[in-house]
Amino acid sequence: MKATLDLRRVGLGLLAPVLAILVAFVVTSTVLLLAGDPVVEVWTQLLTVPRPRLVVAIINGASVYYLSAIAVAIGFRMNLFNIGVDGQYRIAAFAAAVFAGQGWLPGPLNIFVSLLIAVVVGAAWAGIAGWLKVTRGVSEVISTIMLNAIATGLVSFLLFRVADSTAGSNVTNTKTIPASSQVPGFALVPGTPNKIYGFILLAALVGVAYWVILNKTRFGYDLRATGRSETAAVASGVNVKRMVLTAMVLSGAAAGLVGMPLLFGQDYSYGTTFQPGLGFAGIAIALLGRNHPVGIAFGALLWSYLDQQSNGLQITVGVSSELVYIIQGVIVLAVVIAYEVVRRAGLRMEQRRVARQLSEEPGSPTPEGATV
Amino acid sequence: MVAPAVELQGITKRFPGVVANKDVTFSVQRGTVHAIVGENGAGKSTLMKILYGVLRADEGTVKVDGQLLALHSPSDAIDAGIGMVFQHFMLADNLTVLENVVLGAEKRHGIGDRARAEIERISADYGLNVHADHLVADLGVGIRQRVEILKVLYRGAKILILDEPTAVLVPQEVDELFDNLRELKSEGLTVIFISHKLDEVLSVADSITVIRRGTTVATVDPKSVTSRQLAELMVGSELPSASTDVSTVTDRPLLAITGLTLAGAGVRDVLHDITLTIHAGEVLGVAGVEGNGQAELVEAIMGMREPTAGRILLADQDISDWHTREIREAGVGYIPEDRHRHALLLDAPLWENTMLGHQTQSPNAKGVWVDAAGAKAGAERILAEYDVRTPSIYVTANSLSGGNQQKLIIGREMSYTPRVLVAAHPTRGVDVGAQAAIWDHIRRARREGLAVLLISADLDELIGLSDTIRVILRGQLSDEFDPDVVTAQDLGAAMTGADQRDPGTVADDLGTRHTEAGPETHGVEEGQ
Amino acid sequence: MRRVMKVTAAMSVAALALAGCGSSTDSSTPGASGTTSAAKVIKVGMAYDVGGRGDQSFNDAAAAGLDKAKAELGADTKEATAVNGEAESAREERLSQLIDAGYVNVIAVGFAYAPAVKKVAAANPDVKFALIDSTDAVGPNIENLTFAENEGSFLVGAAAALKSKTGNVGFIGGVNTDLIKKFEAGYTMGAKTVNPAIKVQVKYLTQPPDFSGFGDPAKGKTAAEGMYQQGADVVYAAAGGSGGGVFTAAKAAGKMAIGVDSDQALTAPADVRDVIITSMIKKVDVGTFDFIKSLTEGKFVAGTKVYDLKVDGVGYSTTGGKIDDIKAKLDDFKQQIIDGKIVVPIKP
Repeated sequence: MKATLDLRRVGLGLLAPVLAILVAFVVTSTVLLLAGDPVVEVWTQLLTVPRPRLVVAIINGASVYYLSAIAVAIGFRMNLFNIGVDGQYRIAAFAAAVFAGQGWLPGPLNIFVSLLIAVVVGAAWAGIAGWLKVTRGVSEVISTIMLNAIATGLVSFLLFRVADSTAGSNVTNTKTIPASSQVPGFALVPGTPNKIYGFILLAALVGVAYWVILNKTRFGYDLRATGRSETAAVASGVNVKRMVLTAMVLSGAAAGLVGMPLLFGQDYSYGTTFQPGLGFAGIAIALLGRNHPVGIAFGALLWSYLDQQSNGLQITVGVSSELVYIIQGVIVLAVVIAYEVVRRAGLRMEQRRVARQLSEEPGSPTPEGATV
Repeated sequence: MVAPAVELQGITKRFPGVVANKDVTFSVQRGTVHAIVGENGAGKSTLMKILYGVLRADEGTVKVDGQLLALHSPSDAIDAGIGMVFQHFMLADNLTVLENVVLGAEKRHGIGDRARAEIERISADYGLNVHADHLVADLGVGIRQRVEILKVLYRGAKILILDEPTAVLVPQEVDELFDNLRELKSEGLTVIFISHKLDEVLSVADSITVIRRGTTVATVDPKSVTSRQLAELMVGSELPSASTDVSTVTDRPLLAITGLTLAGAGVRDVLHDITLTIHAGEVLGVAGVEGNGQAELVEAIMGMREPTAGRILLADQDISDWHTREIREAGVGYIPEDRHRHALLLDAPLWENTMLGHQTQSPNAKGVWVDAAGAKAGAERILAEYDVRTPSIYVTANSLSGGNQQKLIIGREMSYTPRVLVAAHPTRGVDVGAQAAIWDHIRRARREGLAVLLISADLDELIGLSDTIRVILRGQLSDEFDPDVVTAQDLGAAMTGADQRDPGTVADDLGTRHTEAGPETHGVEEGQ
Repeated sequence: MRRVMKVTAAMSVAALALAGCGSSTDSSTPGASGTTSAAKVIKVGMAYDVGGRGDQSFNDAAAAGLDKAKAELGADTKEATAVNGEAESAREERLSQLIDAGYVNVIAVGFAYAPAVKKVAAANPDVKFALIDSTDAVGPNIENLTFAENEGSFLVGAAAALKSKTGNVGFIGGVNTDLIKKFEAGYTMGAKTVNPAIKVQVKYLTQPPDFSGFGDPAKGKTAAEGMYQQGADVVYAAAGGSGGGVFTAAKAAGKMAIGVDSDQALTAPADVRDVIITSMIKKVDVGTFDFIKSLTEGKFVAGTKVYDLKVDGVGYSTTGGKIDDIKAKLDDFKQQIIDGKIVVPIKP
């Protein structure tokens, strides 16, 4: 019986994303038609097999998105909306970059301590929002948005203090990380000299840790229980305030790692061109991946795939690459709606099935002791 | 004889796992005030929502003036001349009375002088004493309620439903409201008045319909009943079907509460000086109309509320300032009154539900880790032992019926070697079969030497299962009743404070001296 | 089981995406081949910074140079624009795709492209690159076009001080970056050289990575209003598209403003043109055109090419005749800078 149950679930599970992507396809095509843009060419370009160097870029982009989405998902699992991953990762990356650039410690030790700093700074920044919520009842949505703005100002202010700029250069950077502390990449994709971030392993590690903590520990059980029903969690003995604070801090700690693959595998310094906006993409990807570590991985890949394929739109088709924003937006909306529709349908089906099975075999699962 | 203004026939409404209304039938004559009384959770609100078109009945018919109506939305009800005044006012503070009244009804008389004239006319005709240009923010509660009534009349209502209208009023305002209602009645309007304050109902209603457990029990003439008789009808007085055999009460106190006080937001304490002791093998029943402090008492014991004063002892340990988790680990089982909110993770599989509240205990945990295999085995055992009907431990809690959900909860709470069981309304909303099973489990707990605190609104259940019964009224406990001699009538009277004619049974702290003071006396504070 | 559902859901997302990929045709022909075509048409790819063609400022100036090359040199061009918040790899990919499409002469507009140019240029030694506003990427096939914004800004700063009656002038920078600080440094020095006691109010609209300060007229207007209220009567808008708001505020206050990059007395909306007494002109169009021209003539020279006052790469505009009275003084300053008698700093 369990097997058939699973099949049904798999069917339902497939239905939602298929629906969502279909809707996104139709909506985007309509937009293109209305704008008088070439529909067929756009889809041909978007669905071209990416070249090897693009494959590398997609995987690299996805690994960063993955970390961001995991950070968001930690909050989501407890009904906390950490909108502040964006500010958290930037301030953490800045702090780590400043430290790593000094090169006070030798090679790998420098990397390790820098990661630690990023984690602590990210956690502390998110912890402010958690603390405000627990002690003052400030909605974490509001406080994290505000903290994003503060992080932007603070980092910018400090960046000019520590900037290491050379004449003729218009980029403001922290000191470049010594070569011994740069993380080498993996040449996994043949046909391109570009390498996959070494820190993709960090992303994988965080994903595994996320899964283990959430699903295998008592803490994770409490966290999920609080997310599902705060009232029931309280009655079961969960200290919800402490849980809120811990979840925010953990989310911030993961957020602190978001910029690390970029810092140690590509930019080697934090500057004005350090990639912004990863935290917001993370929110969408966490939604896409339904907060599941594997789902998020696919969501991050899809997101990154669309990002990278969009470049060709301008060059080969002549359509603005902003089109991809529409596709991404519609997919997220459609996925959220489709999942909810399918979830409700699934619940109704399950209720009916349970009722039917029980009425077909009256009292059958009634072993000894039933009528004590 | 003319057709009744409102006639309900065989109304039945089911929610998943619960029947909220079952075969409700009554009729209301034009130009009368008709009261619907019943306990909280008896199904009054559901019924009124059906009549106002917010919910649709699964079975049954609604007739207005002899015409069969299909009510799909409140606007259908308004078109049929039915208006509803909700317990919680729906007024915009920063607008005037005029603006509030015309909001959403702009088509009737516009939004200007015509509307103002109409409002003044209605106010004058029914003696509502409402002025169109006053700012709602400046108005008191009583007059706000009259604005709500005016809103309904402005929309052409001939039948008014008032949901617990006196809950927010002080006695003088209640008198004014009743004067208004008599005025409305004399103008030929029909009023349906929902309440569980028996004195009020007796003083204003022309006819009273009693609802218990979702169905109409009787329609009575207020001139021919006493509040005691009404109370009996409300809480039921059938012969107890739940009963215990030999006493297993020991002299070993397991739960001892002394002087427990919980300050409220207002002047009065939510719980005041509660003292009780439950011994091993004893079931202590607490009767009371909902909202008199039962929920707070349970939450204080479970560590979910910080007592203002008093001590709670578990055996000989003071657990007053312990955290919920410590209290549960120390062996206090907990069956909350609202299982959906407090006892289950509806979206989670059953095996995760059977560890809820015991997630730190064996076999569910090993150190900081969840022991999924152990928890699943535990779940299988609990579901089998407590006869929870389900295809597997992997379906969500949501897919079970209410009775099976409740059996799961009781099984869970009994499975981690509890010493004390706190059970709030354990059989509410479950079918008869599950009810019997749940009673069996409570009897077994007693036999096994647990101290059981049983809170229930079902007096048969209390009388049948308890070794001792106390009544809670306005946060205070009565003296002990002996379930072998007490009747449901006695308890019902004590619960509503209507027992002043029988002072021998009830302790002074029930406040018998206040009972002549008017409608408020029988008032039941509630947090709906 | 819930878990299973989610996994499969996610898998199907990816599966669909990948299934779609399979049906494509790889039509591109990587490598350089464009320049040797029979018609000898020069093929130029241009990668804009965020905002792209139509920003009425920096990118538009580059576009003007490209358009000129198209008209006069018959260049075959292809353009692509950066999106806000994109990854470093996206910039690399943009350059690579231009090359793949056969546009083997690439102009990268803006310093953000420096790391990408460095990398792609190394991988494509046959392709010629022009990198505007940055010397961070150098190579045998890279020409770095930089502009002495500080020198041009010195002149408009001097003009501001000469025109100011209140002894109080303003500087509004779009985004707080080193590049815009060059504008500030020149402007302040120019003003102080004319009037050592002058008060210069300085304000940046946004901080990186928020680059909206280059395209938010509302922010520009608010900032300018504040400066005029504080007594300034000339405000220099070094803020790209946000400058429009500065002009609106100047018009409302009856005060003066200074434009940037192109001659904004010609490009701004007609109703506010009369408040623009001059503009600091940064001849990106000239730089772009010169680069393309040098390619057609086979005279490409790698390395830094500085567009300063000496080569007329920066300057000030006189449209409207508002500064005709002080032109002689400004030209005198200009000569002193060219002669090295005045050295304008790049940092405030």
